[in-house]
Amino acid sequence: MGSRASTLLREEEIEEIKKETGFSHSQITRLYSRFTSLDKGENGTLSREDFQRIPELAINPLGDRIINAFFPEGEDQVNFRGFMRTLAHFRPIEDNEKNKNPTASEPLNSRTNKLLFAFHLYDLDRDDKISRDELLQVLRMMVGVNISDEQLGSIADRTIQEADTNGDNSISFNEFIKVLEKVDVEQKMSIRFLH
Amino acid sequence: MKLLEGAGRRSPPRNGEMPVMMRMTVRMRLPRKNEEEQPIRRKEAKPRTVMRRTVMWGKERRERREEERKEGRRKKTVRVRRVVRRRKRRKMRGSSSDSSSHSDDEEEESLSEGEMARLKEEVEEKKKLIANIRNKPWRMKRRLMHLKEAQTFVDKFEGALGKGKGRKWYAYKVMMTKKWIKFQRDFENFRTACIPWESRIKEVESHFGSSVASYFIFLRWMYGMNLVLFGFTFGLVVIPEVLMGLPYGSVPRKTVPRAEQPTAQDYSVLMDFQGYCKYSVMFYGYYNDQRTIGLLKFRLPLSYLMVGIGTFGYSLMVVIRTMAKNADVGGGDGDEGEFTFSWKMFTSWDYLIGNAETADNKYASITTSFKESIVDEQENQKDENIHLRRFLRVLANFLIICSLGGSGYLIYFVVKRSQEFATRDDLSWYEKNEVEIIMSLLGLLCPPLFETIAELEDYHPRIALKWQLGRIFALFLGNLYTFLFALFDEVNTKLEQEQAIKNSSIWAMKEYYANYSRLVNDSEATPPPMDPADVIRGPCWETAVGIEFVKLTVSDIQVTYLTILIGDFARAVIVRFLNYCWCWDLEAGFPSYGEFDISGNVLGLVFNQGMIWMGAFYAPGLVGINVLRLLSSMYYQCWAVMATNVPHERVFKASKSNNFYMGLLLLILFLSLLPVVYTIMTLPPSFDCGPFSGKAKMFDVIMETIDLDLPAFMGTIFSYAANPGLIIPAVLLMVWFSYKKNRRNNTDSTNQVMKDLEDLLPNRSLIPLAPPPEPEPQAKPTKTKPGSAGKGVNLEKDVALASTNPNTRGPVSRPPGPRGPGSMAGPGGGQGRGRGRGPPLR
Repeated sequence: MGSRASTLLREEEIEEIKKETGFSHSQITRLYSRFTSLDKGENGTLSREDFQRIPELAINPLGDRIINAFFPEGEDQVNFRGFMRTLAHFRPIEDNEKNKNPTASEPLNSRTNKLLFAFHLYDLDRDDKISRDELLQVLRMMVGVNISDEQLGSIADRTIQEADTNGDNSISFNEFIKVLEKVDVEQKMSIRFLH
Repeated sequence: MKLLEGAGRRSPPRNGEMPVMMRMTVRMRLPRKNEEEQPIRRKEAKPRTVMRRTVMWGKERRERREEERKEGRRKKTVRVRRVVRRRKRRKMRGSSSDSSSHSDDEEEESLSEGEMARLKEEVEEKKKLIANIRNKPWRMKRRLMHLKEAQTFVDKFEGALGKGKGRKWYAYKVMMTKKWIKFQRDFENFRTACIPWESRIKEVESHFGSSVASYFIFLRWMYGMNLVLFGFTFGLVVIPEVLMGLPYGSVPRKTVPRAEQPTAQDYSVLMDFQGYCKYSVMFYGYYNDQRTIGLLKFRLPLSYLMVGIGTFGYSLMVVIRTMAKNADVGGGDGDEGEFTFSWKMFTSWDYLIGNAETADNKYASITTSFKESIVDEQENQKDENIHLRRFLRVLANFLIICSLGGSGYLIYFVVKRSQEFATRDDLSWYEKNEVEIIMSLLGLLCPPLFETIAELEDYHPRIALKWQLGRIFALFLGNLYTFLFALFDEVNTKLEQEQAIKNSSIWAMKEYYANYSRLVNDSEATPPPMDPADVIRGPCWETAVGIEFVKLTVSDIQVTYLTILIGDFARAVIVRFLNYCWCWDLEAGFPSYGEFDISGNVLGLVFNQGMIWMGAFYAPGLVGINVLRLLSSMYYQCWAVMATNVPHERVFKASKSNNFYMGLLLLILFLSLLPVVYTIMTLPPSFDCGPFSGKAKMFDVIMETIDLDLPAFMGTIFSYAANPGLIIPAVLLMVWFSYKKNRRNNTDSTNQVMKDLEDLLPNRSLIPLAPPPEPEPQAKPTKTKPGSAGKGVNLEKDVALASTNPNTRGPVSRPPGPRGPGSMAGPGGGQGRGRGRGPPLR
């Protein structure tokens, strides 16, 4: 019965995605069906509007940034491969994985990569630093007009002051890792994809 | 960042995943509801199917037309679907004719081997389809259609595969399994939706911060506990007495005395809980001392004593358990850490919010939490003259001790005076109620005075709150105990009075019997033919004590509600509307709007509870009054706080653990336990009222039961075991164990979680023993007892979550949604719902 399903997604393609992202076969086919149902244009790619139809993203102050994270630099469409590559960041780390040979390149769902994903949500200009202005932007999105600009500024300053260790008045990725050291990122940035 | 923070912390039923998956699960779940309404009844199969199909057709056509209008591109799919449908229909027709021809049991036996095999194959195929349908890259609509058809088919013919008699049983079993799963799922949803007032509290919290919300969570917890107490008291004492005991007017204790009858129905008398109120099930005196009542031989006196003790036992258990639980949850992912602001910044949004209203609340709560941190921060950075500060603090404490002493003396003075008054008859209203009035006034005036004095100290608001609580606590406690001593005096006089009456009535009785037997010359004495209303009776001190407590509780309710109405509501109305025509700005200037008085309200609640604990033994109806009070004040105060109060000027976060409140409660519990146990153990019960009348001591009822109802050897065992030297250590041990057990459970699971965590970590050096964000027992509280204190118990967690993630448990703000993979996977898939932090499903 499943033969028709698989024809839309070629076996070898699935294999490649599997290798790249670590998703299982059935996860890939299922996510593919989700992909197609999001794809209102039915052209095999997703646009920003397709993502914005998801209410959780539409309402999220950082929703636009999350959506942006799906799109490669300067492009407006994302195909299934790209979609899966982004989602792979949220794959839980499985018990057997950590014992695998450490020489292999780090999987997309490693702690560092998860954090990097989060870091890029804040790092708008991609200079690998979160500056005060970038923090202020996020703050405005999160609290709106309820707190005065002055206070927001001081919050941003405090944030940087807390995190900044090398004194460049911005948060680098290493500092970001340090800040979130005690947060259970592996767990919080994981989605239990259906198997 | 707290990307998907929710996934870790949410309560069990809602392990909804990333939005992407979530929508899918929602859709996938739809069909089941319909299927399960399809009973397995073969006879009707054909007409039903046909009808359903027509209905479906019509609906689909309509839907399709709509969609076509919307999207204008359908042709391909439609064609595909038609083909499929045609094929399906053929199949369905074939199979339904099968079924109708074999509808009779006899005929079914003649199902040929070939047909059997074919059917089996088909069912297997359908089952496979059901299992795999999620993997098909089809449009959801098409999937739903296939799924529905396949499942109807399987439902219908699965039973046919069994042989002979086993078939029906098999079909039944399949059906029941499905029903059971559905029931479990519904129940889970129901339970989540049943956390009472969740959305209400979240709303308050997002506007006023976690500290105000902590009061309401506490209130909810109290309500839960009182509901259980209410259940015990009414189920085991009040209702049996009403249903099976003697009716009103049958015995003296259940009748209003002749002298009081004319005024017994007056409003003023009833408001004082005299007259008919006094001789009702609400109070101790009404209960009869029959050993057993009704057909069931219900041992009411025993039950009364057990419930009285059980009330304390249960409360003690619940409070201690909650404290133990709270004690362990502290820490978590540590707000104490160095990176307060960074964490707030990067981890405060809940990525699972999909509802506009919830999002608004979340915005408000993030704002609040930032403000809280700013206050905390400012507090930390303060540095100024430490000597001045110390001096001021000492001064403040001195002043407060002075005022405490003053109020204590005032009460002592008033109580003395009231004892003097008690001998006189010509009392004005004020003189009669002087004690209550003075106590209420002190309770009303002292807290603001303390607050003003506390300004001198300049503590962080959180610490200031604790000091304030402690001081008011001392004040109330002083009041309460003065009141209790006054009450004991009264009880002692009543006891003497009673002794006299008892003697005289016994004497009268003897006289009567003597006369009776002399006149009638019959040694068999019948009781004097007196109307129960005319019998001389003792003062019944138990009922008097009960009435005092009920009066105090009711007046407390009145004062509280009136204070809110006048102090908050009227003030808010005046400030709001007079502001248009006033010389200065009322809103910003002097009266302004009220702030929610956390310390006063918490203490009010705690003391009220103490009153209930003390009074419940002598007035079983008090528990009912209290439940009503808590229920109404939940709504009333929620309304009042939202409508009339403004957020605190210095918003501050509630301390991580609510154990401070719980500690107060525990203290009050012990303090209220003392007088009750003292009276039970030492004072003789009244001779003519209450369930223990005629006994030397109340607890004799236990001895009586042991002697009469249990085998003799048990009696001897008990007589050894009843040695106080054994009982007290046993009780202490039990308390200790229950506390320890909780602690151990918690730490155990914590360690388990830690181990899991460590296993998960790719690089241990990166994370040196990260404290786990959520120990396992978090999932427990809802499981303990539906509708009981269990659900509200988890105060601390709520508070801890307050600033970061207030909507994780807001079932009302979103559809009772997806529950992860378990929903589709059938019987085997149940493990999917469960802890938020279980290992990922595979």
